[in-house]
Amino acid sequence: MSSLDFSPRAYVESTIIMTTVRVVSPFVFTFGLFVMFHGAESAGGGFQGGAIVASSIIMLAFAFGIEPTREWLDDDFVRVVIGGGASTFALIGLGALAFGGPFLNYSAYGISHGVKYGIELVELGIGAIVAGVIVSLFMNLAAGFSDEETDGDEA
Amino acid sequence: MTDVQLTLFALLLAFVIFAALAAAFLRDILSAIIAFAGFSFGIALVYVLLRAPDVALTEAAVGAGVTTVLFLLTIVRTVRPGGDRLFERIKWGPAAVATALVGVLLTTVRSLPRIGDPNSAVATSEVTRYYLENAYPQTDVENVVTAVLAAYRGFDTLGEAAVVLAAGIAVLVVLRKEVYV
Repeated sequence: MSSLDFSPRAYVESTIIMTTVRVVSPFVFTFGLFVMFHGAESAGGGFQGGAIVASSIIMLAFAFGIEPTREWLDDDFVRVVIGGGASTFALIGLGALAFGGPFLNYSAYGISHGVKYGIELVELGIGAIVAGVIVSLFMNLAAGFSDEETDGDEA
Repeated sequence: MTDVQLTLFALLLAFVIFAALAAAFLRDILSAIIAFAGFSFGIALVYVLLRAPDVALTEAAVGAGVTTVLFLLTIVRTVRPGGDRLFERIKWGPAAVATALVGVLLTTVRSLPRIGDPNSAVATSEVTRYYLENAYPQTDVENVVTAVLAAYRGFDTLGEAAVVLAAGIAVLVVLRKEVYV
């Protein structure tokens, strides 16, 4: 166990892990975006891509500590990402209604290849929800523990 | 499947079963979590061999990656059980229930179609034919799985997204990060 002041968690700075993560995480992040954007043409989609993007951020938090990562990636920003993803999906569905088609019927927009763009946008929305929820699950689970510790309300 | 693929498949299945047993029986929770991650990774490779890359990606990212990390975060707060025993003592009651469940499930295996069977219900079904023929002309999307998920079954997917969102909000509420009242 390390003796870092903010928590009793087993965070130990490791040069090997930090260097590896520094090299690998941009590629993981890009691959996640690729899976998200390219889900229409190859294997993958919003859910998978979102999980991969989130895991690249979790990787950073594991290597460099959770508190520095939280300072870098604001909780409010993560919440905006989640809400933005959900409202993108819902608004695309409702927009089709506004154009006189059934709910979520992308062809109602009347753009050429409209269905494809609709699907891509929906995939991005799903990716944003999944990535955001996984990151906030991770951050809040970690923070939940440290807060309990400082409150000293252990039964 | 070719002979090489069959051998690989058999090895993978053996690894998956070994990892699952290790996850169940290892006494140290950290070891069990690592064995569980190995199990997820093996299952992901099995999905790849079964030509289900979409499912494999999900299993690898969520099963082997994210859940492992969440488990690790959680056990930081637990205490390592004393004693030097490597394996959990087997409790015969639960073991009997688990064995009975596996036995019941095994009876259904005979009615599953063989891998790659051209006469299986999935391959010959009218629905499969419809999607394969119409997905590209109707949606301009080459991955039929994506076409079904986001276009034909878009409403279901919206429901799934709502479930993920609700799960995220539930965790925030349980950990009291937000005051909603």
